[in-house]
Amino acid sequence: MTGGGNNHILRSKEISFIFDGANVTAHEGETVAAALLRAGITHLRNAPNSGTPRGMFCIMGACQECVIEIDGRKAEACRTTISEGLVIGRVPGV
Amino acid sequence: MMPIFDIAIIGGGIMGCGTALRLAEGGMRAIILEQGDIGQGASGVNAGTLSMQIKRVKLMPYAIRGHEEWQHMGDAVGFHKTGGYTLAFNDREAELLHERMKMKKEAGANISFVSPKQLNEKEPHLAKKVIAVSYCPDDGYANSSLTGQYYRKKIDEKGINFIEAFKVTNIRSVSDGYEIASGDRAVVASRILIACGGWSKHITAMLGVDLPIRARINTVSVTERAPQLVSSVIGHATGLLTMKQKENGTILIGGGWQGKGRPEEGRGQVSVDSLVPNLQLAKFVLPALSNIRIVRSWTGFEANVPDFYPLAGALPNRDNAFILGCVRGGFTIGPYISKLMGDYILGKEPEMPLFDPGRKMEEGKLI
Amino acid sequence: MFDAIVIGAGPAGANAAILLSENGLKTALIDEQRDAGGQVWRAKSESILEASITDAGEQGDALRDRLKSSNVITKFNCRVWHIERLENGHWLLSVVGGVEKKLITKALIIATGAQERVIPVPGWTLPGVFGLAGATAIFKEHMMAPKRRTIVAGNGPLLFYVASETLSLGGRVSAVISINSRTDWLKSLPAMLSNPSLIWQGLKWIFTLNKNRIPIYWQHAVKSVEGENMVDGVTICKVDQNWAPVEGTDQYIHGENLCYGQGLMPAVEATHLAGADHHYDEKLGGWVPTIDQWGRTSVAGLYACGDNAGIYGALAAPIRGSLAAQAVCEDAGINIDRKAEIKKLKVAIKFGLAATALTIPRSGLEALITGETEVCRCEGITRQEIDFEIKTGAQSPNAIKSGTRCGMGPCGGRYCMDSVALITQHRTKKSREEIGLPTARPPLRPVTIDDISDDLDYDDLPIPGVSPL
Repeated sequence: MTGGGNNHILRSKEISFIFDGANVTAHEGETVAAALLRAGITHLRNAPNSGTPRGMFCIMGACQECVIEIDGRKAEACRTTISEGLVIGRVPGV
Repeated sequence: MMPIFDIAIIGGGIMGCGTALRLAEGGMRAIILEQGDIGQGASGVNAGTLSMQIKRVKLMPYAIRGHEEWQHMGDAVGFHKTGGYTLAFNDREAELLHERMKMKKEAGANISFVSPKQLNEKEPHLAKKVIAVSYCPDDGYANSSLTGQYYRKKIDEKGINFIEAFKVTNIRSVSDGYEIASGDRAVVASRILIACGGWSKHITAMLGVDLPIRARINTVSVTERAPQLVSSVIGHATGLLTMKQKENGTILIGGGWQGKGRPEEGRGQVSVDSLVPNLQLAKFVLPALSNIRIVRSWTGFEANVPDFYPLAGALPNRDNAFILGCVRGGFTIGPYISKLMGDYILGKEPEMPLFDPGRKMEEGKLI
Repeated sequence: MFDAIVIGAGPAGANAAILLSENGLKTALIDEQRDAGGQVWRAKSESILEASITDAGEQGDALRDRLKSSNVITKFNCRVWHIERLENGHWLLSVVGGVEKKLITKALIIATGAQERVIPVPGWTLPGVFGLAGATAIFKEHMMAPKRRTIVAGNGPLLFYVASETLSLGGRVSAVISINSRTDWLKSLPAMLSNPSLIWQGLKWIFTLNKNRIPIYWQHAVKSVEGENMVDGVTICKVDQNWAPVEGTDQYIHGENLCYGQGLMPAVEATHLAGADHHYDEKLGGWVPTIDQWGRTSVAGLYACGDNAGIYGALAAPIRGSLAAQAVCEDAGINIDRKAEIKKLKVAIKFGLAATALTIPRSGLEALITGETEVCRCEGITRQEIDFEIKTGAQSPNAIKSGTRCGMGPCGGRYCMDSVALITQHRTKKSREEIGLPTARPPLRPVTIDDISDDLDYDDLPIPGVSPL
């Protein structure tokens, strides 16, 4: 994810969280979707039927493609706010 | 003007299509009139449970034969014989379970009791609070949503006429039989069979016959795909839960919890006040459900009469008019009883007795 | 118990809620996002402490300020998953994400906005493919553009906004692929002139693209998206007047992101579930609840305003919110006169209708959906399977759904059923009205049992009479 281009943008402090075992940096208050995009992580899970790779798609809570797992609970990456130390996993394939 | 058919069958579900197929074998020319799509009413939206343990004692012989029919249909309807467990969690339920299963066993169902430990070995994800368990190896399920696809193919192969989106608005006697109209379209047939489930009361009324048909509004829910959690069909001693996990990982949850609405007003609605306890009971039985998402809940109309036995035979006070419906366990029994119905209409003696729609009906006892 | 609940805090819904509350009605406003503004005036993320001001941001902030100083009870991060009409005519909403699990109201306004139409092509499920509207959500909320190169494809004005905004946020754009021709745009200009400021904005977008030498492929469409585990590029082709692909015109364009969409459709799932009558009107973006000029649906106590009642766009939305609020007040015996707004609406919808007209699917569009294309993302159902089902007799969305599992996954058919209807229309020559909508079923979004219920005390389970023996 690129910065602000010709816009002047001041972002909140950097925090880190874990996605699928790896450390990822984000700004406090961002959604998980934005933080992952910033980190260049687009492949979020595999489709349960075909196993094909999937990533965030509608980014407004409808398509269910960006579902991730936090503490064993499913959440939409596009509607979940990131916080320091959050541990996020890929939804296990079925 | 359409040719005159030997029989018009109102309702393109399992009952109507099954009867039409039997009639075609007997050389009778039928036309099926369906208000929506073939097999999309109760036939296509029920939970698909093929369990001997939830069948009525008197209907057991029909259920056993119906089960064989489903087995024969096989993959085309997603048939799976998984075995089924019915669970009791307290003394009252255990007593109920023993009393009921004994009678069902006597009626011919292959039901036995197993220990909670045996259940736990087979189904380790189920709640450990079970105190009594009955088991039937014949139990299983079919995929009810494939009913329409299956029967459409079958009736098509046999060259049976059908019209979808034909919502009957009027029926009148004509010299050749009956004229059945949907708006400005009309079909004439020598005979008529009413086989439209929850909508049958409304249709029989068009023939001036008042039958005490009521409709239950059963709720069914399905989850997203989940890892393998149960391999058998699971029931509850009270009958208030049926649960099975399909090959694709989705879990289907039923149990006859009541939604809202009337057949004349559409397809019925899910009521949160019964859906939530239905799902809570499911989670109680299978705790891992707590974090699996429900993706859809729906309702289907299940017709019945006060004594909860089928209507299968000639319509009282009308010539050449028949009715088939209100079969408790109709999904399981449907493919078989519709054959009996076909034989009856063809003037043959059915191999098992039918159920006179003109009988006196007393309110069935609820235990 | 509320006098009125509004679902959807975009410009239509929020404005309706404020007016209702100003007229003394106890009003709640629910939205699944974390603040008001909807998609068009989407609120900035809390991670942005300071940023240059944008028009949309200013309008959104003004709306959010008005809302804060009103008596509207707002419920954000809150999702309605079921809507039931009670016997007394009140509405029961089942919700997750708030303190309560149930809310009851006398009047219900549905202002759920639009959803995106996305025509499936091979590879559209790859990571790196975003909805056009989805991209705008990231721009507005997080003020950032995807890393590496972005291809922008589809139709309507959103295309140019997304491309230009990607550049101004520091992203790179490989190309803009517009299925509309230049002539399409010229034809829509007179109606669009009803709103000179938006035309001016559009010109700025085009200017930005030209300045950055971004190629615009007019009357072209994405034929397939290529890549293993992420987007590598797209194959595009020319389309004819009916938007059918023209053979022998394939070109490959490199890029690691694809922002892709074919216009907006009213999000009617909530009004449909609530039992309102709907009809199909392509000029309004597709299926819409049948409403009077104020927003009353066919069901007493149920109102609809904003893009979910027909894509008129952001300009018309606040006015439509006012009109719906007026209808609610009037039906509750409170007199407010906002008839003047109807005149304003007539002007405001001109631009929205012209923009929507650019996105009306044409007969050739279905040809882009090849046999092997996964139409249903959730269940992986291909066009071939759908075609076969129709060929063997399935004639309605319900029948196709039952036979194939298309639309039975977690998204509830939101991203496939319109394509299924498009394919059905092509195969059966039936009208969209005849084809109909699949039956509306809850939940409106997937919910876990934990989300919707408290823990069960087994003895409290309401056990009705058991079944007859």
